[in-house]
Amino acid sequence: MQNEDILVVMQKDLERALAKPEKNRRWAMLIDLRKCVGCHACTVGCVSENKLPPKMYYRPVHEYEQGKYPKVSRTFLPRPCMQCDKPPCVAACPVKGKDGATWKETAGLNAGVVMINYAQCIGCGACVPACPYDARTMDEGHFHGEGTPAIQKYETMASYEYGKQWPRSGKNLPVGTARKCHFCVHRLAVGQLPTCITTCIGRSGYFGDENDPQSLIAQVKKANKIQVLKPGKKTEPRVYYVATEKLEVLYGK
Amino acid sequence: MANKTKTTVTRRDFLKTSALAGCGAIVATHFDFARDLIARVEAGELTQAEAYELLKAENTLYSVCLNCNTGCGIKVKILDGVAVKIDGNPYNPFCLHPHLEMKETPANAVKVDAGLCPKGQAGHQGAYDPYRVTRVLKRAGKRGENKWIAIPFNQAIEEIAGGGKLFANVPGEEARQVTGLKELYALTDSKAFEEMGKDAAALRKKKPEERQAAIEEFKAKHAANLGVLIDPDHPDFGPKNNQFVYFWGRKKAGRSNFAAAFTGAFGTNNTHGHTTVCQGSLYFACKAMSEQYEGNSFKGGQKFYWQADQENSEYILFVGANLFDGNYGPTNRAMRMTQRMVDGQLKMTVLDPRFTKLAAKAQRWVPVLPGTDAAFALGMTRWILENKKYDANFLACCNKAAATAIKELTWSNGAWLVKVDKDGKPGKFLRAQEIGLKAAEKRTDKDGKEFDFEYLVASKDGKPVAFDPNDDKEAVSGELFVNTVLKDAEGKEIKVKSGLQVMLETATEKTIAEYAALCGTDAATIEAVAKEFTSHGKKACVDVHRGPAQHTNGFYNIASFMNLNLLIGNFDWKGGMIAASTFNVDGTSTSTDKQPFNFKKIGPKGMKPFGTSIIRHDIKYEESTLFKGKESYPAKRNWWPLSSDVYEEILPSIADGYPYQAKIVFSYMGAPTYSLPAGHTQIKALLDLEKLPLYIASDIVIGPTSMYADYIIPDLHFLERWEFQGSHPNMPVRIQPVRQPVIASPNEVVTVFGQEQPISYETFWLALAEKLGFKGFGTNGFGEGQDFTRPDDFYIRMVANIALDRKESVADATQEEIDLFLKSRRHLPKNVFDAERWQKIAGSAWPKVVTVLNRGGRFDSQGATYKGDQVANKYGKQINLYQEKTAGCKDAFTGKSYYGLARYVPVADTLGNEPVKLSEGFPLHLITQRDVRHTKARTITMPYLTDLMPENSIILHTSDAKKLGVKTGDQVQVLSATNPEGIWDLGNGNKKPMIGKVQVTETIRPGVVTFTLGHGHWDSGAVDVTIDGKLVKGDKKRAGGVHANAAMWVDPHLKNTCMIDKVGGSVSFYDTKVKLVKV
Repeated sequence: MQNEDILVVMQKDLERALAKPEKNRRWAMLIDLRKCVGCHACTVGCVSENKLPPKMYYRPVHEYEQGKYPKVSRTFLPRPCMQCDKPPCVAACPVKGKDGATWKETAGLNAGVVMINYAQCIGCGACVPACPYDARTMDEGHFHGEGTPAIQKYETMASYEYGKQWPRSGKNLPVGTARKCHFCVHRLAVGQLPTCITTCIGRSGYFGDENDPQSLIAQVKKANKIQVLKPGKKTEPRVYYVATEKLEVLYGK
Repeated sequence: MANKTKTTVTRRDFLKTSALAGCGAIVATHFDFARDLIARVEAGELTQAEAYELLKAENTLYSVCLNCNTGCGIKVKILDGVAVKIDGNPYNPFCLHPHLEMKETPANAVKVDAGLCPKGQAGHQGAYDPYRVTRVLKRAGKRGENKWIAIPFNQAIEEIAGGGKLFANVPGEEARQVTGLKELYALTDSKAFEEMGKDAAALRKKKPEERQAAIEEFKAKHAANLGVLIDPDHPDFGPKNNQFVYFWGRKKAGRSNFAAAFTGAFGTNNTHGHTTVCQGSLYFACKAMSEQYEGNSFKGGQKFYWQADQENSEYILFVGANLFDGNYGPTNRAMRMTQRMVDGQLKMTVLDPRFTKLAAKAQRWVPVLPGTDAAFALGMTRWILENKKYDANFLACCNKAAATAIKELTWSNGAWLVKVDKDGKPGKFLRAQEIGLKAAEKRTDKDGKEFDFEYLVASKDGKPVAFDPNDDKEAVSGELFVNTVLKDAEGKEIKVKSGLQVMLETATEKTIAEYAALCGTDAATIEAVAKEFTSHGKKACVDVHRGPAQHTNGFYNIASFMNLNLLIGNFDWKGGMIAASTFNVDGTSTSTDKQPFNFKKIGPKGMKPFGTSIIRHDIKYEESTLFKGKESYPAKRNWWPLSSDVYEEILPSIADGYPYQAKIVFSYMGAPTYSLPAGHTQIKALLDLEKLPLYIASDIVIGPTSMYADYIIPDLHFLERWEFQGSHPNMPVRIQPVRQPVIASPNEVVTVFGQEQPISYETFWLALAEKLGFKGFGTNGFGEGQDFTRPDDFYIRMVANIALDRKESVADATQEEIDLFLKSRRHLPKNVFDAERWQKIAGSAWPKVVTVLNRGGRFDSQGATYKGDQVANKYGKQINLYQEKTAGCKDAFTGKSYYGLARYVPVADTLGNEPVKLSEGFPLHLITQRDVRHTKARTITMPYLTDLMPENSIILHTSDAKKLGVKTGDQVQVLSATNPEGIWDLGNGNKKPMIGKVQVTETIRPGVVTFTLGHGHWDSGAVDVTIDGKLVKGDKKRAGGVHANAAMWVDPHLKNTCMIDKVGGSVSFYDTKVKLVKV
């Protein structure tokens, strides 16, 4: 039996990484599909953590079945933002440059994450179809409490995305903007793992600095054959998968 | 605009900014609150760390989820009194493995968010449901019409206690006189209760022909009190007090003690839980296996069951257990299994008609035919016995001493000799005095009472040997397979067989191939599974759940599988079968005398309720005054000598007035109309004003059952209240999770016993106790200066008991922790949290109470969980392979004895007829399943879950879809022989057809069709209701999907109840044949 839950191990990996100079850090996520039991806790945990409106999912879990009775298989595939090193969404966004709406961060705590500045986003939606993973969604300003006698207070209270507070009221940001998974950088900043990682009941998720050979994610990546989603798109994702199935077959090239 | 690089502002800037922000004073609406925050954000006033308020110990409270019965620990993050985020509690072994030790400070624990399923993540949405009932609702129209008025709480108490023409405003009920609770409190003297109870119980032991005389004797002796009886000609029905029937759905310790304080003082014996809708036959089969030999009969069986120690098992055969969607529960079991599965350390076989998420991770999936599980078990039994792959040393042990000698913590009765009658039917165990081997002797029990002890017999070296099964000094082992004839004292022949011999003969009645054909597989599969199961020493398990239990043959299905665990003797071993263990709440722990509050001493003095319950549990039909002899078969309804909490019996028995009339029904957090099969029959029972004159429900919304109530008493959501969740069989750690108020309630505040408190389940009991003047409640209720006037008087005392249970108590909280305790509750109003008050209640135990509450419960350490190769929290007693008590019970319909040894029994109705006619023209076999995103009645109110899964589907195999001409997305209606219209009759002309969308799949056995539970609602905000003359519009999103329980078979003899397991009590969920019609 292991001596520590991997959540505790990765918490320590994270604290160690934050104590290091940032330039050698490389945030990455790894999902071992053999351990994913398709519970959707990561999906809902993320919705709750980031106060997502209806029908917006930063991290849906796709379910597949293959084969013919009785020789069948089922695969569960959580799909966060890939935080691509070559992000097509950034290329598609018209608000470019230093004060752009979306960019691949290269410095500081958030290095490696594809960021969105809600204040700069003009809401054109060009990034949405540009992403091969359907990771970006426009926020249309809806509430879960629509159709009931009253919207409840918890829905209007702030999320903490990108280290700021975003209460949800009327047309305030981020309504009208593109939104996506950001590796919970607001939690990394205070030494906590992303919510999808911590709530996972199968412990399928790994997160950390993959440049640290001592980190659990580096060890798991080294010990297993790694797949990425849609390798043909050459996006160079920061999210790796371990799976017995060929993900190209399930998810596409 | 927002300055990205600025991370803090000066105080001067802050003041300047807030003036410029122009928000003015904070107004008490959501949107004004938000505007103020925006201003602060735009001012760049908050740092990153400050911005993330959710990582603060002072904003975190620990409690226990109740979105399903697993009850995982939760870590609730609270801002300005609002629960905004829920994660898993790292102190609780359900969420982190290994979990944080109690000695870990909350300051450190706050950093670790632990595992939690999606329902747990959405928990706060149930508390913030806009459809919550916050004042007492009284029906203004007919039952189920959904016309309500809000009334003052005191008025409700008056009316319920006093009765009268309570519904004079409802057309048709102008003259209807309703009996109030006060009138039912007919027998009030505790001495009379004891006397009459004793004499009524004595009637049971009389032979039917002697009973009439005994009844006359009773009537003469108690002539003065006959008026309190329900029926003087049937004194065994008990007093009129029994006509107050209380039942519950999801209730745990603490609240159960609270209710028992009232119902005990009131003196009703009609307090019933819901066990048989869940997996009753699993509980009661294991109860039968845990009956202990005391004196000369079997007693003391525990209502519980075992599950696998999954973190150490090498091989588990899961039967009808859906671990990654339901069971107890996905959160705690998955995290103990997934890495071991990947590393090849845990192999699994899954028996299930569906390819569940669990099956998807297993090495072998066996798609058994629903209801035929025992055939698989018997096939395995045959292989194991014939190939001698059982643990012979374990099975030979006849008593405790023999077990101890080989380091076993449990022992079976497989080698005990059973008497067999001339027809070969096994009955009772042979007693040593019957063959003149050893005389019975007089012994004294722990209470000083004398009893007869009869020795039992085994065979050793061909000779009979007498033994005491609980003897811990003289070891006795016996031969395993014995089939012989002994002579009694007069020289008459007594045929005897060992329990294992009976098992061998049962198992060899059919070939393995025949068993395989019965359950829809092949002999090679059964043999391979049996071989694998017996190749891992004691680190192999058969772990069963609702799948085999919820059939008419559930009891025997379960016992036949559990017996396999006995064959390899894996109980209490690492990797074997284990049981739950908890810290005691009511102060009666036998492991310490340091618990400060013994509720048996300080609690309200209850009466000794007596009489046959309305569900006729814990009694044999033959013992009742309704039984006259053989001509009394079949009984009108079933009698339950081996089961209790038979949920499906409550309302239909009341509708039948059998064995007697009920007058007042009170339900708590229960939804039998939704959760039970053929739930429409439960609705019909509720609509009967004559048979059920007064119905009160405790609920947080107008639910699928509470909508039929006369009064709805609002309750607190689980985030607003107390409870002690207990544990589950697969948890090897000793725990007691504490559910405590973490947010204030929206409920109306009322005054009971002079104390202001929000209306709740507890408030209702307290108010009734106040009204009826019960001793032991109110001022000085617990003793001089010890009031019992509000819920925390009860629960804080129990937390103290938990803290001081066992040899070592929890540590005292440091001052730092006490400060944190107070600060993190700063948002709770005084009528929920009053530190001074709590401290006074807890007395010297206060620093320990704080420690427990700061962690959401008490959890033993992982290090204390195992002792070498066995568990520290052992079951440690005898386990019955052959069940004498079961064999001594008779079927109330046929008069035939139950089987003492589990065997394959086909699915049948209450009269024993296989449902051939019911199946004609209905080709598909209906089962149900759980989806991890929903529970049954309550999760439809949570938008995070309903948005993710807005509707369920009717799931069927490709070949069946083809035959029907349907594809995924098409709509179909579900019909059965007992519901040919395929509708829910909700009463008052309101009908809801059972129509759902199709999902075609390869992952189910052809011929079987299923749907997940939790959709198809007609309640809980799904439909419009009228309150105080105003329309409250429902949210159509809550009505999505289909609930096909109304298609499940109604028993042809009972006519108003689903099909049932007559032995174990389970309802038949998985036996019905249906047809699907394209819509």
